[in-house]
Amino acid sequence: MSVSESFAKWRYRLVPDHLLGEVLSKNWIDNTIPFLFLIIVVVLFQSLIPGFLSIAGFADLARQLGEVAFVAIGLAIVMLAGGIDLSVGSVFALANFAALAFINYLGWPLYLAIPAVAAIGAFVGLINGLLVGYLRLRAFLTTLATLIIVRAVVDLLILAYARKVAMTMSDSDAWLFLGEGDLFGVPFNFVLLVAVAIIAHLVLSRSRYGWHILAVGGSRRSAYNAGIAVRRTICITYVISGMFAAIGGLFYAARLGSVGPDTGIGLEVTVLTAAVLGGVSLGGGRGSIFKALLGTAIVLLVTNSLIRLNMPSGATPLVLGLLLLLAVAVDIRWLKNRHKLLSRVYVSPTYFELPQRPATEAGSASPYAVNDAFHGVEAIGLGELDGPEDMIFDSKDNLYTGGRQGDIVRFLAPDYRTSEVFVHLGGFPLGLAFDAKDNLHACVAGMGVYMVTPEREIVRLSDETNRSLFSIIDDSRIRMADDLDIAPDGRVFFSEATVRYGVSDWAVDALEGRGNGRIIAYDPRTKSTRTVLSGRIFPNGICMVGDGESLLFAETWACRISRFWFAGPKKGKVETVVADLPGYPDNLNRASDGRFWVALAGMRSPVFDMSLTVPSFRRRMAQRVAMDEWLYPNLNTGCVVKVSLDGTVTESLWDLGGASHPQITSVREHKGYLYLGGINNNRIGRHKLADADPSWTSQHAYWGQP
Amino acid sequence: MSFLKRTYDSIFGAGEAAVTVPPLDGALLPNDALDQAELVATATAADNLVRDGERCFFSSGAELFRLDLMDGATPAGRFDAPISALAADGKGPLAIGLSGKGLVIRGGQHEGRRLSGLSEADAACITAIAFDGPDKLFLAVGSSRNRPEDWARDLMERNHLGSVWQVDLATGAARRIADKLGWPAGLLVRRGAGLVVSEAWRHRLIALDDKGRHTVLLDNLPAYPSRLQAGEGGLWLSLFAPRRQLIEFVLREPAFRRKMLKEIDPAHWMAPALSSGKSFLEPLQGGSVKQLGVLKPWAPSRSYGLLVRLNEAFLPEASFHSRADGARHGITSSLAIGGRVLVTSKGGGAVLSIAADDNRREVA
Repeated sequence: MSVSESFAKWRYRLVPDHLLGEVLSKNWIDNTIPFLFLIIVVVLFQSLIPGFLSIAGFADLARQLGEVAFVAIGLAIVMLAGGIDLSVGSVFALANFAALAFINYLGWPLYLAIPAVAAIGAFVGLINGLLVGYLRLRAFLTTLATLIIVRAVVDLLILAYARKVAMTMSDSDAWLFLGEGDLFGVPFNFVLLVAVAIIAHLVLSRSRYGWHILAVGGSRRSAYNAGIAVRRTICITYVISGMFAAIGGLFYAARLGSVGPDTGIGLEVTVLTAAVLGGVSLGGGRGSIFKALLGTAIVLLVTNSLIRLNMPSGATPLVLGLLLLLAVAVDIRWLKNRHKLLSRVYVSPTYFELPQRPATEAGSASPYAVNDAFHGVEAIGLGELDGPEDMIFDSKDNLYTGGRQGDIVRFLAPDYRTSEVFVHLGGFPLGLAFDAKDNLHACVAGMGVYMVTPEREIVRLSDETNRSLFSIIDDSRIRMADDLDIAPDGRVFFSEATVRYGVSDWAVDALEGRGNGRIIAYDPRTKSTRTVLSGRIFPNGICMVGDGESLLFAETWACRISRFWFAGPKKGKVETVVADLPGYPDNLNRASDGRFWVALAGMRSPVFDMSLTVPSFRRRMAQRVAMDEWLYPNLNTGCVVKVSLDGTVTESLWDLGGASHPQITSVREHKGYLYLGGINNNRIGRHKLADADPSWTSQHAYWGQP
Repeated sequence: MSFLKRTYDSIFGAGEAAVTVPPLDGALLPNDALDQAELVATATAADNLVRDGERCFFSSGAELFRLDLMDGATPAGRFDAPISALAADGKGPLAIGLSGKGLVIRGGQHEGRRLSGLSEADAACITAIAFDGPDKLFLAVGSSRNRPEDWARDLMERNHLGSVWQVDLATGAARRIADKLGWPAGLLVRRGAGLVVSEAWRHRLIALDDKGRHTVLLDNLPAYPSRLQAGEGGLWLSLFAPRRQLIEFVLREPAFRRKMLKEIDPAHWMAPALSSGKSFLEPLQGGSVKQLGVLKPWAPSRSYGLLVRLNEAFLPEASFHSRADGARHGITSSLAIGGRVLVTSKGGGAVLSIAADDNRREVA
């Protein structure tokens, strides 16, 4: 092995490339950019301003945050529903004036004044909401108008009452506490902010109304079609926004007690910058409370720092404006390119080296020497079937198979000419197995493991397993249950070929060469599902050995068959039985002579084998070349081989031209015949075996019944 | 600057690193005309068709056949090396390029003439010959490093070692008129308008003047062009193998390509081919996986059959295809006779006949 190849081998063993794609597929990934930005801001100003990271500085920041962030949360909720509220700055100022007027001038108690102030904010919000939500005016212009009107009202009030309000001072301790008090050293309003933020987050992410907001913001028309009261939902977001702006104004009043005419001027730009910078999308539907808080923290840090740096006046709005532009640009570009980026990096190949390919030349002494044994094989259900991945017989010799239409189809014994839809499962059935009572068990792609009783009752056995400890994508859901078999104690062992791909793109997993699959056990006694073996390379066929302790499983892309002990003294052990198949093993089943039939879905080709040792080639290929043009394992020629438990391959049967069975994904012996299935085929093949026991059935071999 | 551009391109797959292939569109819309075409004769590797007055010949491996539209092919000679190119001046003599050997003149006053000035390496890879009057001819040399049958290796090595020569048969002197060409595989003499050369690895047709300067006549072909033939109603261009995104990509992956050339049997390379799908050891692309037992005609195969009719301005006017699910792949030469056009499918081992005025453009 060359130096560069050993380097590639170790580099791909040590660096988990696939995690990048998985992280990018997470929703919380949207937070990374603002979070990184926050870190940059902190580091930058820490180096510019001595004592930037002091306790006092943080307390000060927290108190400001307790005012501005309320407004930002309100605005974020409006934006999530696809709107915008520019009037928040004016409402803030109005609330500030109202609070001082009620408490200082009129001497109202807090329990009366606070709801009154909140109600004023909510009232302004309601006007916005009615205009935008019900009359469907443009949010931007409408709230711009209310911004001006409310600001004018505040100016008039100040003109008339400023002296009276400013003359008197409240001596209420509670009012003082609201403005300057601490809880355990933390400013009171910040504690309240955290509480409100948590509640708002729960409402948005867990409640019906929160989902409605996100749905309306995501797609107004779809939300309407789904029966959501779009207009009401929008109207309420403005009420919430107005109320939150008023609460922010209230704390401001409590802290400063001033009715200056410049209160809240430009606040709408500050909070808008904060929300967008945090990652609340201007287009609606994307964002969270946490994002709004993050953005507010950034904006406050920047503006405060600029003041402390004694920047000339005008610098702060300039920087804010630039930040807003930057945030809007990032918002648009990120939204547009995130999926592109994800699709480019998701396929993540790794280094994998297959053992030497055994000879297959016709006439060679190899057990894999090609022949045309399946020439003239009989067809069952030709043209009726679409994807019989596996097939099985009940104790009355009827033949069952699945199909892409989501049915289990039954062909009636003895001639298998008439067929009927046994049940409709709704998903693509793959591996099939019968238990002792003729209950049909099926792996259904995308759905899990299901059982169908002889009375055609459908029972879901399992669609979820335990989530593995350090997985980034949620791997508890079973996406690609592939084949199964039932142990004598009733436990169902099934393979999930890959946790990274689904039924439509499973073959892409071949490009990765990583152990993305696992074997899972379902225990009917406790109705529990546990992963028993993970990190396998496309585990596919499963077949009980018959000793009640172990099973054989095929790892398709690794071209090997292994034995796994699930009970007994060797429990948990895995031993390779055949390490170097010339093709890709799919399902495997028992043969009448005690050996095992293995279906090879495709054959190894030298170029593809070589590409497995050059992961960077495959990665670039996945990024640059269209999917239909990717280099694939050769899935156009299949064969059937017979393997004994000690790993000896005794024979192979081929359909060389590939006229009827180019790809064989399943093989099953029944009463002297061999039956062939293919996930991309339109028939089941039936081949007479010359030297097989004509009375042998797998149902009898498993469960001892006739 | 160009370094920056190359780095950018190689990271983002743009510019030179782009793997795009021109679509089969317009006059090149796919059909199955070659698969429907009438079979005139079969021969394992039917290659170069020529017309000598009333007689037609074609080559297949080391054998020369005489072709009769009624009676099919009859053997007309056998050589000690595969015939790589054939030309007739219409009055008897045949010029024959032999792989690894050189040029042989059969018949006429120049029979047995030996060439001077042409190196052994160049003479070993004559891919096309064209007479320019009875005493002059042009030779296309595919590569000075590989023999004609190793064309896939030459492509995979990214060689541009081809050349075009002018030979004076009276003296046997050969003069190189152009070099550093990417596998010139077809020649056409245009009276008074210079020489047209199909440059396969650059997927284009160029015109060469006496001084070896070239002008591009047609480029961005979706397949590798081969021999050219003038006939009634236009020019016939044979294209012997398709360009595929994956192959373009492999061509831009030097490390992978070197490893492949070193370790793998040429028949199983991820490279264009004259025919494909014969062995499961050949590489397969995603779209070529059979669905319901059927290979889709649009599947990305390594071989393809394509014959294009060009007008006088070298613009494609009509095309005749054998797609992934067809068998008449690897079109290497054509010959217009009256209202018919004879075509050789080297990959399919057949000589076919189509109607020259067939204007079909897509699958019926």
